[in-house]
Amino acid sequence: MRRETQNILLILLGGALLKISFSGLYLRYVQKGFLPLLVTAGTVMVLLAGFSIYRDVRGARVPSHSHSTRSTWLMLLPVLAVFLISPPALGVDVVNSGTDTNRTSSSSNGFAALPGGDVVPLTLTDFVTRTAWDSSGTLDGRTVRLTGFLARSSGHTYVARLAISCCAADARPLKVHLVGDVPALPDEQWVEVTGRVIPGSASKENSYVPSFTVSSVNPVSAPLEPYES
Amino acid sequence: MAITGEIRGDRKPPRFKVTSLEVLCFVLVLALVFQSGLVRMLDVPALRTGSTVFVAICVQALPFLVIGVLISGAIAAFVPASVLRRLLPSSSALAVPVAGVAGVALPGCECASVPVARRLMQQGVAPAVALTFLLAAPAVNPIVLVATAVAFNDAPMMVVARFAGSLLTAVVMGWLWIRFGKLEWIASRALERLPEHDGTSRWAVFMESARHDLVDAGGFLVLGGLFAAAFKVLVPVSWMETIGGQVVLGVLVMGLLAVVLALCSEADAFVAVAFSALPLLPRLVFLVVGPAVDVKLIALQAGAFGRAFAFRFAPVTFVVAVLCAVLAGVVLL
Repeated sequence: MRRETQNILLILLGGALLKISFSGLYLRYVQKGFLPLLVTAGTVMVLLAGFSIYRDVRGARVPSHSHSTRSTWLMLLPVLAVFLISPPALGVDVVNSGTDTNRTSSSSNGFAALPGGDVVPLTLTDFVTRTAWDSSGTLDGRTVRLTGFLARSSGHTYVARLAISCCAADARPLKVHLVGDVPALPDEQWVEVTGRVIPGSASKENSYVPSFTVSSVNPVSAPLEPYES
Repeated sequence: MAITGEIRGDRKPPRFKVTSLEVLCFVLVLALVFQSGLVRMLDVPALRTGSTVFVAICVQALPFLVIGVLISGAIAAFVPASVLRRLLPSSSALAVPVAGVAGVALPGCECASVPVARRLMQQGVAPAVALTFLLAAPAVNPIVLVATAVAFNDAPMMVVARFAGSLLTAVVMGWLWIRFGKLEWIASRALERLPEHDGTSRWAVFMESARHDLVDAGGFLVLGGLFAAAFKVLVPVSWMETIGGQVVLGVLVMGLLAVVLALCSEADAFVAVAFSALPLLPRLVFLVVGPAVDVKLIALQAGAFGRAFAFRFAPVTFVVAVLCAVLAGVVLL
């Protein structure tokens, strides 16, 4: 492959990183802490290629001992994927195929008391962890609000969300079984559900999927940050 | 061509020649024209998930690769190999562990350490020492260890075990080379001395080496992302759960997987952490084998040192790496 082509590929790839950084789309793929790394990496790629082009134009060419690097062509794939396809955030497909649902671990220093108020907003991670491991009953009798998307399988309706620790490759599905009146909304519709947990409904047999008595389901628009972390 | 043509005085019209530049433009135009078709084709659950995971792996690994090539470029430009040679003990058997530990200070991804090791050999460093460095540098440097710590934030001992397993692999391979290695296995072109200074400024050497390493390694990184995404989609999680209990099978499967996936050492921890159905030991084997021997590394080594070398070195490294990883895992995890 020629130097010129390599440089164009580098600029395209760096540009793809900068594009997803500035548009916020990077949150579909990685955790939000990655933003400074992505911007730096994208800038460095564009600068390296720009410097090389500048030297080529001035004619001060480094004696290149370039061997055939056909693999470099593969760098075009993420460029095309980002600019043309822009893959969506992971969703229902992963929740329904995953067998590792609601993998949480007990927190070693106990569970903090929930804040006061009529309705307590909780992340699905926090809610599922408490239903599985908290025997002190901090959730009993409390009305909580969860945010996630609807997922249906074998006649049951769930509110689900994915948690990532680094990038979408390590996504862990979290889901809560909804009991009661759920309006006819499509799958993958983002919702805020309020209601109460059915105490003791999460067990090893149902892989710690708790049941939740719904008092209201409100459709909302998809959040900027699709994953919990 | 153009110059000799002018000297000879024959003025044929320049023939149109298809280069990679034209191919690139053609592919880009084609992709733009068929964009909606492409999007529709990928709108199948498995492909949708796969493409997201693929982009995710590339996006999170690229910054680490960029850091790696910048450092390796800086070393190429500002740290002459002769300095390193002066620092090494004259006895090879002693220099091997020193070279292993030197890998900590001279980070790079495995793609970058192959040319560095070859440069060391050309500068007269003993092959065993250069090979130890080749195996150690991509596995035990701070960037890889930080990436491992970030990925395995719930299992901090993983970082220590990875460091120990990889360093042990590198040092054992160095000593094995001293005892059994033969210089004629290494292609003669790898041992020819190159002129050290060619008049280019150090900053230019820095930028050019970093760019060259990035272009060289970027494609392999994408390939790793493709394999990993395909693996994530095609292999059902339940299959990984069934080998979860059998540690011996898990160790072998993850060792072979590390060879086949050929991930960059700066990103493999993030892939290993995703195999959450497996215990830590097989995942440690994955992290120790990956930077020492994988398909792209075998290809790079065959290119740099010759096929006779690569086909002897790679299988032995695989066995040694698996054993060292298991030892480190049993002691430390």
